[in-house]
Amino acid sequence: MKPERWQQVSRIFESALGLEEDARAAYLCEECGTDESLREDVEKLIASHREAAAEGFMASPAVERVAGLMSSSEDEVEVRLEKGQLLGSYSILERLGAGGMGEVYLAMDTRLDRKVALKILPHEFAADKRRMQRFALEAKAASSLNQPNILTVFEFGESESLAFLATEHIEGETLRDYLRGHQLKLTEALDISSQIVAALEAAHEARIVHRDIKPENVMIRRRDHIVKVLDFGLAKLTEKGDASESGFVTDTEAPTEFKTAPGNVLGTVLYMSPEQSQGLAVDGRSDIWSTGIVIYEMVAGRVPFRGATPSHTIVEILEKEAPPLSLTAKQEVPDELERIVRKALAKSRSERYQTASDLLIDLRNLKKRLDVESEIQRSTASSVSAGLQTPSSTAQESAKQPITTIGPSGVKRAALAGALLAVIVLAALGIRSWLKSTNNVAPSSATAVTANVPPRELTYWITVQKFRSGKPFEKPFQLAGEINFERDYQVRLNLRSPVVGYLYVLNESPRGENPLQILFPSPTSNSGSALVSEKQELQIPEQSWFKFDPEQGTETVWLVWSRAPISDIEVAKRFANPSDRGVIKDARVNESLKHILEESPTDKLQIERQSSPPQTILRTGEPVVTHAIRLAHN
Amino acid sequence: MDGYKPKTVSRHPPISPHEITQLLIEWSGGNQAALDKLYPLVYDELRQMAHRFMRRERKGHTLQTTALIHEAYLRLVDRKDAHWTNRSHFFGMSAQIMRRILVDHARRYAYVKRGGGVQKVSLDEAALVTKDRARELLLLNEALEGLEKLDPRRSKVVELRYFGGLSNAEIAELLKISSNTVTRDWNMARAWIYQQMTDATA
Repeated sequence: MKPERWQQVSRIFESALGLEEDARAAYLCEECGTDESLREDVEKLIASHREAAAEGFMASPAVERVAGLMSSSEDEVEVRLEKGQLLGSYSILERLGAGGMGEVYLAMDTRLDRKVALKILPHEFAADKRRMQRFALEAKAASSLNQPNILTVFEFGESESLAFLATEHIEGETLRDYLRGHQLKLTEALDISSQIVAALEAAHEARIVHRDIKPENVMIRRRDHIVKVLDFGLAKLTEKGDASESGFVTDTEAPTEFKTAPGNVLGTVLYMSPEQSQGLAVDGRSDIWSTGIVIYEMVAGRVPFRGATPSHTIVEILEKEAPPLSLTAKQEVPDELERIVRKALAKSRSERYQTASDLLIDLRNLKKRLDVESEIQRSTASSVSAGLQTPSSTAQESAKQPITTIGPSGVKRAALAGALLAVIVLAALGIRSWLKSTNNVAPSSATAVTANVPPRELTYWITVQKFRSGKPFEKPFQLAGEINFERDYQVRLNLRSPVVGYLYVLNESPRGENPLQILFPSPTSNSGSALVSEKQELQIPEQSWFKFDPEQGTETVWLVWSRAPISDIEVAKRFANPSDRGVIKDARVNESLKHILEESPTDKLQIERQSSPPQTILRTGEPVVTHAIRLAHN
Repeated sequence: MDGYKPKTVSRHPPISPHEITQLLIEWSGGNQAALDKLYPLVYDELRQMAHRFMRRERKGHTLQTTALIHEAYLRLVDRKDAHWTNRSHFFGMSAQIMRRILVDHARRYAYVKRGGGVQKVSLDEAALVTKDRARELLLLNEALEGLEKLDPRRSKVVELRYFGGLSNAEIAELLKISSNTVTRDWNMARAWIYQQMTDATA
């Protein structure tokens, strides 16, 4: 209807309505004249008026009529999308479940022909466009960090009044579900927490705070147990207080309010930091607290703070100390883990881990230590089952072994024995393997023990780049093995193995009287640990190159790749001066090590050169691979 | 066990009642930016309050729009420096917001109709009634949108009365028209909306 017509119709309608029935017809005839349609419009409207009044149409306010909507639409009504239904370019395949923030569906992106997870966001969020946009920004910012532990966000979209988030689809389960089915081993708990913290490290560096770290927001991929942290930025959506401000602030946003309406609940208070539970500004350290709670829960099977009501929980968070893990956990808890959790759960954030990186270092180091211990335990156990030695005799014997093998004598020896006892005991098996392979005196039963062990395999290649006056001159290229190098070539060694093990890389300079240098591990590479996980790719030196001496000669790079730690080298590491690039200053240690390296058998080693890609694969059925790469240069 | 639903952890309205009142004054003085700031605040407040009311309603209370908006007003606005004009402006805005809250909810609820396939589960009888009413509300809202283009004043009257629960006298005051005009506007608008809705469902 055109506005003029509307004016006309409404004027006639209102006048007609004021008249009695019989007067009305005459009035309409007069007003509308020959305009039949005008008269019809008005008559129809009058009829509508009569019916509407009779039915009580709009008689009571809308809220009263649709009260049911307000009482149930958020917490009880679930919107279900059906298979084949389209949301934008996404075709729904199946419902995956309800996430913390809404329904999650598996869908096919029809444009890119890939599977995605679609998270349908609570509808009321859509009401605040600005907040939505900021959320979208932040979610994308976190995703674009390309950190493998951060879930990739593809798109944030709206369709048919539903707001949704399209993300990478992970085949797996949430940590919450995972915890229901498993009693986690310590190493697994540490592995999961390290990955969560690695995600936070990257996000925090980009000034993105997660704000809602909890087991529901952590996915574990079934195939490889890679951990993915979900919903960066989403927590902020549920917070009030910054909606009317522009700007993109991460760490000073305050006050924080958690809404009370169901369906809009910010998960739970159980994982909230003290500052968060008080509605104060939060920063990355709040995420560290929440991660501390998650670690605690993984180890103890329960969260440290839980009251009868959320308010009681908050009081506990603010005032109580977490009960020590040693009391609450069903398994034995290393003091170091106790310390880490306590530090993550310091009430005052200035006493907490200040950065995710610091927490990550501690978690990884502890994980490595436990890996070593369990490796030893496993090996020792297999020795026992083979009727070789009792664990205690293994330990005792091996405690003496390294000293008789290479250790310096006299006072120094005693001090060494005391200080390094732990390392030495840990390395028990390594010694036996090492002795076996170096002295060729392996007892037949020991061979039986190692028979089931997969062969040692180590792949290496050499990256070479020509430099001129300290600057790259040509593009780097890759070699499977040794050539005669030019003096202005700089090289780097790359290593990888399909199995887990202990790697030592030592350099022997051209002139034999020079000390050995431990290139790997070093405090700056792999945190000083020789333990290398399967498929872990190493670069030696890390972030740098080897330069050749000005004089012509041959550098020997020794690779020792072992199933267990090699105590001789573990001990020697203590003599390697990190500030001097790992050079071993002690002449006797040097001498013994060189001797062992030179004498170690190589006849059982298979060396396979490949050209595409250029690489060399070393294989042996023995517990230890020892191999020398000779880099001759002019 | 993990389903704790936190009560309000802290209530620091991001803007003080005094500021809200200032925003209302600025807005009634014609400053649209002030409304942009007010709108989300009042939206949140009303939505939460409506939910609280409705949870009580199940236990025998009835929800009254005016009571709702009155309470929101009392909570948000500093009464010391609020005059009557501010109040009616606030009520006017609240009507608009209530409309939006309800339509947002209805859209979600009645999605099956509009989206062509979104299903709602657990449809007991009450839910079916609600769903019908949700659809009805969406139709009504569409009609009202149409009316807005033809006749902004009449559509405003409908919004204030139907969504804001305002009395004719209050509407007259707010729109600066006579009470009789409000009655006439209402009749015309309601008849037209009814007709549009009947045509749409026919």
